[in-house]
Amino acid sequence: MERTLDDSLNAPSETVVGPSVKIQGDLNSEGNIKIEGQVSGKVKTSQSVFVIPGAKIAADVLAGNAVIGGEIQGNLKIAGHLVLQSTAKILGDIACSVLRVEDGAQFSGKCVMGVSGNGKKNGSSQDPEIEPE
Amino acid sequence: MLFIWNLEFDIWNLKLYYYILDQNGLPIEKFEKLQTELQGLLAEFKIAGETARVTPLRSVQDLVDTASQRGAKTLVACGTDDTFNMMLAALKGRDFTLAYIPFEEDSVLAKILGVDSVYSGVKTVAGRRIEKIDLAKIYDNYFISYLEFGVMSHRLKNTGLWQSLKLLSSEARSFTIRVDDSYNVTINGLGGLVANIRAASSKDEKIGNPTDGNLDLLILEKLNKLQIMTYRGDIAQGSLEKVPNATVIKCKKIQFLEPRGFNLTMLGRVVAKFPATVEIIPQRLRMIVGKNRTF
Repeated sequence: MERTLDDSLNAPSETVVGPSVKIQGDLNSEGNIKIEGQVSGKVKTSQSVFVIPGAKIAADVLAGNAVIGGEIQGNLKIAGHLVLQSTAKILGDIACSVLRVEDGAQFSGKCVMGVSGNGKKNGSSQDPEIEPE
Repeated sequence: MLFIWNLEFDIWNLKLYYYILDQNGLPIEKFEKLQTELQGLLAEFKIAGETARVTPLRSVQDLVDTASQRGAKTLVACGTDDTFNMMLAALKGRDFTLAYIPFEEDSVLAKILGVDSVYSGVKTVAGRRIEKIDLAKIYDNYFISYLEFGVMSHRLKNTGLWQSLKLLSSEARSFTIRVDDSYNVTINGLGGLVANIRAASSKDEKIGNPTDGNLDLLILEKLNKLQIMTYRGDIAQGSLEKVPNATVIKCKKIQFLEPRGFNLTMLGRVVAKFPATVEIIPQRLRMIVGKNRTF
């Protein structure tokens, strides 16, 4: 059974990158990733990524779901839900199935929706789906 | 007929169990008392085997070699956590089932393995509940528990508030650590630990699970006084993930790169210095465990 965003939000993160941590390279995980510090390289997980306000990522992000409150310079390929919080700043392209954007979020790039994170079209949702706030 | 059966049973037992008894810092009176208690319990539970005592002329390494030559299948360390760790280091890839009978009261390993006394240790060995667990390796040393750098939880356990404040108020150091040959972690922190199992583990916890084929790297950032007072108990337990801003990484290989010469300790004993590599060997060890084990 596919995990919902709420399930992912409540699950503890397997990887936590603290505020004073700098990571250089490819950060791969099989569980949720919570980023409070800085990452440059690539971030990849089949589960969820949480980028906390204040965090800075210069990397492509591939994940099942993502909640972004920090800054990302790179492309996001999200198989499920992508939430851009009011503090989010994205400089890069987005591909996701479901997008939610809060007031104040900044985004500069292309957005492709109704596709899974691997770039393939979802059979059920051809049209973009935007959840109301 | 019964006599012959008993004799065969004893010979079978003799081949099966090899007990390494180690005084290792214990007062001689206490050690001899525990040794007598142990011999009685081994006979009572019908798991008597060959017992050998560590002496200045016979190290744990020598005794493990002897056990191997005699065809022992189960090695039992009877002594302190150091005794067990020395036994692990002496295995050198040889295939034994391992067990531990603690001779000290505040043994971390005893808590992890669910044996809290000589009696429960012997009962556990007799029960032969065997778990396959991951084995961590640093250079030629093996361990099942955890290593620490910077923060030393065992020193915090027995200190008061002011001493804890002093220990945890030290200046943060810049650490560089390479993980899984994939990325570098740079952090200004107090230190941390690498856990295979820890005393604070529990069955439903993901951190410190010795059967998941992973190591857990936990790093502590600089704390303020209020945080030290609030979380010093968790830090002493090795539960660094409960402390705000702690970094948690699950991985299979950790290379400690900087600062060079920085100590890696096990139960307060220095086992290596940076640069050093720690790896996990999944499901390598057959360990006899108690039902109250922490994993």
